[in-house]
Amino acid sequence: MATMIEVRKLDLHYGDFKALHGIDMEIEENEVTALIGPSGCGKSTFIRTINRMNDLIDSVRIDGEIYYGGENIYDDRYDVIELRKRIGMVFQKPNPFPMSIYDNIAYGPRIHGKKNKAELDILVEKSLHHAALWDEVKDRIHSPAMGLSGGQQQRLCLARTLAVEPDVVLMDEPTSALDPVSTAKIEDLVHELKKDYTIVIVTHNMQQAGRISDRTAFFLNGYIEEFGTTDQIFFNPVSSKTEAYISGKFG
Amino acid sequence: MEISANTKKIHRNENIARGVIWGFAGLTILILAWILGFILYRGFYSNNVVGYKYTDMSSDVLTLNDGSEVIFIANKGIRVKDLTADSMQELYTHVIRELNKWSDYTEQSVLCQPIAYKDESPFNSSVKAFLLGKEGLDNWKSYTTYAVDSRQMIEKVAETKGALGYIPAGDRNLLTKDVVPIPLRSIQVAMNSEALAIKDNRSFQEFTEDTLKAIFAGKVVSMTSIGGIGIAPLPAIAPNVNRSLTDNWFGPEFIPKQFDTMEGFYDYMSRNPGAVGLVDYTGYIPSDSYETVTVQRRERGMNLDLWFLIEKPAEGNAGGISYFIINTLFMILMTLLFSAPIGILAAVYLVEYAKQGPLVTVLRMGTETLAGIPSIVFGLFGRIFFVNILGMGIGFISSTLTVTLMILPTLVRTSEEALKAVPPILREGSMGLGATKWQTIFRVVLPAASQGILTGVILAVGRVAGETAVLLYTLGSSYDLVRNLHSPARVLSLHLYLLFSEAVSFDRAFATGTVLVIIVLITNLLTRRLIRKNKQMAGR
Ligand SMILES: Nc1ncnc2c1ncn2[C@@H]1O[C@H](COP(=O)(O)OP(=O)(O)OP(=O)(O)O)[C@@H](O)[C@H]1O
Ligand SMILES: [Mg+2]
Repeated sequence: MATMIEVRKLDLHYGDFKALHGIDMEIEENEVTALIGPSGCGKSTFIRTINRMNDLIDSVRIDGEIYYGGENIYDDRYDVIELRKRIGMVFQKPNPFPMSIYDNIAYGPRIHGKKNKAELDILVEKSLHHAALWDEVKDRIHSPAMGLSGGQQQRLCLARTLAVEPDVVLMDEPTSALDPVSTAKIEDLVHELKKDYTIVIVTHNMQQAGRISDRTAFFLNGYIEEFGTTDQIFFNPVSSKTEAYISGKFG
Repeated sequence: MEISANTKKIHRNENIARGVIWGFAGLTILILAWILGFILYRGFYSNNVVGYKYTDMSSDVLTLNDGSEVIFIANKGIRVKDLTADSMQELYTHVIRELNKWSDYTEQSVLCQPIAYKDESPFNSSVKAFLLGKEGLDNWKSYTTYAVDSRQMIEKVAETKGALGYIPAGDRNLLTKDVVPIPLRSIQVAMNSEALAIKDNRSFQEFTEDTLKAIFAGKVVSMTSIGGIGIAPLPAIAPNVNRSLTDNWFGPEFIPKQFDTMEGFYDYMSRNPGAVGLVDYTGYIPSDSYETVTVQRRERGMNLDLWFLIEKPAEGNAGGISYFIINTLFMILMTLLFSAPIGILAAVYLVEYAKQGPLVTVLRMGTETLAGIPSIVFGLFGRIFFVNILGMGIGFISSTLTVTLMILPTLVRTSEEALKAVPPILREGSMGLGATKWQTIFRVVLPAASQGILTGVILAVGRVAGETAVLLYTLGSSYDLVRNLHSPARVLSLHLYLLFSEAVSFDRAFATGTVLVIIVLITNLLTRRLIRKNKQMAGR
């Protein structure tokens, strides 16, 4: 098993506020890495550094390196468009574009230059299958995406990300706005997708982290308190704080 | 279940609040509906009281003093309802032909082309005597067109635009459908001068049709009841009046004193202070002891008719507003063409690209201030800058640019708000898929903001359509169509203003206003439809 992403001594400042302190982490290929920790500890901030979404915030300053495919993505010459094509992201709140289901999925491929209708049709169907949404929407693929339920919208956003054919999928609390049935569906999907993709997922749900992840990183106040295999973190934590958090004593 | 006092209070307050809100909302809707209804009603229907020296009774056939009967005819393009006998004289005797237009009578800006016969037959001499009675024979010669007989007269009238002619009533069967007989109103009301004199600050000036009918039905005992002095009215009718007309008009209660000769009638009129007499204009002999009075006529009709929409505009009361409608639409189109791209891109810059700081704050304040400035100030600016300094002159381009500047700040502000209302997670979603900033803006943000942006555009259209002050300074007041960028012109709102300020006609002003309201309504509906289309098409 190979290391997909390597984070080295990553610091992040929002203006004067230091949100991440010397993060070191390896993200392994075809594994699910879960990020857990109390609210405000920097999970979202960290996951967004992996595809440079923090570039969109003016006040952010980043030191340290993240290696992906042997290159430092924070290198000045690194192409951020190319990076985001390969490292996709699903957000906490479903955010379908105000257009049809089909157009939502085809959005990524189109902006990356795919125009051929037949090819797009195939890609859209494949992505929807991948996100386990095809059966539910195949009859109304050209109707507005806004008409879908919250859980369906989130799977649509996943399909939209998959349609760009990335290597890595980042998910920031993808199920926090969903009901238990939809949550279970997404969890199954994550399990399924692991074969083809590398997944990083932020979650507040301990059971979820335990069920679906191979490795778990426990964040605390901008530091990584502990990082290891999920079994080790859950059943044999080194840090007493990790143990306390896992067992629900704080957080 | 026990309901606590506090809960009861809450319910009561809730009901009061609902009542107040319903009350105000209802009142607002009522006021709006009333205003719109009033404008549309006055725009479509005219309902005026007009005073004439004639009664409402009219007949195709006019009987002249010697007993000859004449029918006046016009080209069928002339929309004449009826004419008074002296109007007919005027149409035939205007010396300066250029002024001799139908416009005073039919609101058509068409030259009147009177046609006559050259011969000296008794019939022609009699008509001539009637038509030229006041003006003398010289004017007759200035006509260029003559006909030899009724047949040729009818042909000529049929083929000449604005033509006016006459035939003996006996030749009525020769009339074709290309000419229309003109009903003439020739019956006047005369009164003894004493009854018309001012006494005790009272004086009798005008009749309504109702008072006239009441007098001739013998229902008026003293003229004080109809605004005159204390004499009993004595209805009389001259022998030259067409009795079939009057008997019809007045009905069975018509009880005037009758005379065998005109002399008898005039003698009666002179000697009785209370005399009120009907007399035909053709045999009317003016005198110091009696005079004609004004009869008011209520004129109802379609105000905003098809002609008004499609006819070429002309000065004063004549013509339609077709050019003004086209000019207005053209101006709306041009200003939007200039201002919409600039305004939307400026808003995109302010929201998406500019670093939020003091500069943007100042820019924002500037646009806000400009949006609140009265349009007449923009007009002043445009007059000096575009018209004088840039030398574009008064005309379409100067005014379009000025109006563009005027609506630009509002457009920027509304577009800005629309863009800001697009949730940031949509932008993140797009960027997260590897889209560039411009792709994100163009494909996701602008379509998502389209509803708000188009609302701003609708408001702008309304402002352009209703703009007057700016145009007063920069567009001129020509009646012509905008043929090139520099031509001075009128648009509907400006025309409306000028109609009012030059006191031309309220009817025309309301009709023009109605068209303006309808144009704004249609643009709103169209834009709304466009929004719906746009929403469905977004992202394609
Ligand atoms: N755009 C920002 N500007 C300034 N500070 C920020 C910004 N975003 C996050 N922060 C701060 O950085 C810290 C980490 O925030 P982050 O959103 O990464 O937490 P989180 O672990 O994702 O929390 P949660 O579980 O509630 O989502 C918090 O203290 C937060 O207030
Ligand atoms: Mg978070």
